[in-house]
Amino acid sequence: MSLHAWFMALAHSPLGRAMQNSRWGFAVVEMVHLLGLAVLGGSVLIVDLRLLGVILKGESAITISRELNRLLLGSLAIMVLSGIALLSEEAGKCYYSPAFRWKMVLLASAVIFYFTLHRQAILHARSGTPKFWPRIAAVVSLLLWLGVGVAGRAIGLL
Amino acid sequence: MPILQHFCETLYHSGFGTMLRESNNAFSVIESVHVLSITLLFGTIAILDLRMLGLVLRTISVSSMARNVLPLTWSGFAVSVMSGFLLFWAEAEKMYANPSFRAKLVLLTLAGINALVFHSTIYRRAHEWESQHVSPWRARITAIASLALWSGVIVAGRAIAYF
Repeated sequence: MSLHAWFMALAHSPLGRAMQNSRWGFAVVEMVHLLGLAVLGGSVLIVDLRLLGVILKGESAITISRELNRLLLGSLAIMVLSGIALLSEEAGKCYYSPAFRWKMVLLASAVIFYFTLHRQAILHARSGTPKFWPRIAAVVSLLLWLGVGVAGRAIGLL
Repeated sequence: MPILQHFCETLYHSGFGTMLRESNNAFSVIESVHVLSITLLFGTIAILDLRMLGLVLRTISVSSMARNVLPLTWSGFAVSVMSGFLLFWAEAEKMYANPSFRAKLVLLTLAGINALVFHSTIYRRAHEWESQHVSPWRARITAIASLALWSGVIVAGRAIAYF
């Protein structure tokens, strides 16, 4: 099955039908998506600003990251699920939207980065080694997540 | 005509308001800045609220969290108020009667009062409880109110476009 066929299947699924026919469905799911965004954005920001040494310098980066990991992944899950519902309403349009494609590429990059190099950087931040790599990782992480948000906002505009 | 309605119409028909409304990109760009700054505002205050509820970062004292996080919250607030005022300027005449816009202003005021009450009462004695894993009930009440009110601000703000 081609990627386009998957998008069409989503658009014609019961979820897609419900979203397309409901007056308030899209608005309500959008609100959930935005609330998830706020919590995800806050968690990413606190972890990365700690890695940069801007805030909570006296606290362990590992503790902060471990504690906020649940919040970050929980809000990410809410965003992905509400995002699928939003996509089902206009899957045909999104398939051809350059902003949507950018968003998916940036999202995949941000998630892979978070689980690999970013995690390594947090482990490095504890020991006495120079803090160069954790800072770079924090900047890359902030830029990737910001890119996801900006591309997402652009879906409705382009 | 009520003075507020007159004010809204004057803004709406001003040269700057018309320019914002009719521009291709200005409105969207300001809107994106508004959404990002609200993320900064809500995301950071939510983490402080969750800390007081004892759900995250229990080992870090509440005052340390507040000192580190509140400057970010205030930056987000300042940018969202400024960008929000520009968006209002462009659409003022429609905003005057928009029920969601009115609800958003009421919720914003309540969120402000809630923060004021927290800082002028329970937080003044934070040195007595800042290290407790779960904050005293009065702090927890303001934390829950903060989460609910700011969520309401986001929901009402998104709904503005649907009226």
